[in-house]
Parts: sequence; structure tokens; C-alpha cells
Amino acid sequence: MEIQEILILLLTCSGVFFAVVAAIGLVRLPDVYTRTHSASKSETFGAVLTLTAVAITFGGDLSTLKTVLLLVFMFLTNPTAAHAIVRAAADQGIEPWTTEEEES
Amino acid sequence: MSDSTDERTPTPYVESPIIMATVRIITPFVFTFGLFVMFHGADSSGGGFQGGVIVGTIVLMLGMAFGIETTRNWVGPKLPVGLVGSGVLAFILIGTGPVLLGGSFLEYHAYEIHHASKYGIELVELAIGLIVSGIVTGLFFVIASGMEDNGGETA
Repeated sequence: MEIQEILILLLTCSGVFFAVVAAIGLVRLPDVYTRTHSASKSETFGAVLTLTAVAITFGGDLSTLKTVLLLVFMFLTNPTAAHAIVRAAADQGIEPWTTEEEES
Repeated sequence: MSDSTDERTPTPYVESPIIMATVRIITPFVFTFGLFVMFHGADSSGGGFQGGVIVGTIVLMLGMAFGIETTRNWVGPKLPVGLVGSGVLAFILIGTGPVLLGGSFLEYHAYEIHHASKYGIELVELAIGLIVSGIVTGLFFVIASGMEDNGGETA
């Protein structure tokens, strides 16, 4: 029981850490491509880790199965949504941010 | 490529294999989840409105994966209207059925089935889900058609 609690605590803390990293990237990075890059990867990882902790907390009943399904679909759809957003941005002709043009 | 093309003419949509593969895998699960949420409306969180939006999202995902014009041609103009119409018709039938059997409007006990109230509420949720999914689909096509068309005739 003790080792299970430690595992849950560890997973939750690392999930929160990755979510904070995603939020900082979303605020601090300069344009849509870098922001999506930060948000999709870290946010997916943070959500998956936190949901794993939730699944372990439920301890093997029907709620665990639902949480694992949610985790799988989060893992599938979150990067695809980021890909779709960035693709739409590239289709619209939004230029990536570079260090050459500092004035915008 | 961009010579002699106007600024606002949309380029033909090129499908992304990543989005298409994901949508192919996800769509049946989204449909099942929408029905699940609809049927859970009677005794827990969820209901016809939320489930209808989830089912309507399927057409949005297909539009994003295969191009909006392709999806519009595939769905056709009759399906959203038909969904909304059949939902309203189902609700009216469920509601006025007890009136014909001697009760008042939506009084499910007049049906004399075992769990008449439960099944009645589920059927009404399903009808609401049909209406909401049809409206979400139609709204998506109307918004996607832009401002050039006069009104929502293309939906």
C-alpha cells in the first residue's frame, strides 16, 4: 500500500511538472508553431502521467478501465489536434518566427 | 504556384495522412461515447445535449480530415435537416402518446410498461441528441461556407 501511494505521488508530481512546463511554453514562446510544439508534447505527457496516477488510485474497478481508455484517446488525439492546428496555420501562410526579424 | 491566384481564393485541400488515420480510428469510439453520454442522462451526468454535440463532432472531424467541401457533398443537404426533423417528431410522438392513452403530456406511466418513466426519459434524451447533432452538423457547414453565400442555403 505504501509503495502504491509513493507511485501515485510521483506520477502526479511529474504530471503537474509537465503541465506547468506546457503552460510556461504557451505563455513565453513567440509564435504559433513553437507554442503548439511546447503545448502538444508536454501537455500530452502531463495529462497521461496524471491519468495514470488516477487509474492507479481507482485500484482496478470499472473506473480504472474508463480512465485507461481516456488515457489512450488523449494519447492519440492530443498530438493529432496539434498537428491539425499547425497544418492549418501553415496552409494560411503564417511565417515561422525567426531571429532575423525582431521588430514584430 | 501562387501566380495569378487571388489572395482569398482557397487552395484545394490536401489531406494529411496523420489526421485521416486518427479520424478513422477515433470515429467509431466517438460515436459510441456520444451514445453512452446520451443514455446516461437519466441517472448521472450527461444527457441529450452533451451526447448530441459529441455525435455531431464526428462530422466536424470528417470535415477536418477529408476537406469540408468533400464532406459537405458526402453528407448532403438532407441529413442535418432530417436529423432535426426526426428528433422533433420523435419527441412529439413520445410526448403525445400518453395523451392518446388518457394521461397528460409526457406522463410516461400511461404507457403501462415496466420502467415506463425510465425508458421515456431515455427516448426523449435520444430525440434531443438527434436534434442537437443535426444542428451542430448544419451550423458547421453554414459557418464553413463563409460570408459569400447569402444565407445558409448550402447547408
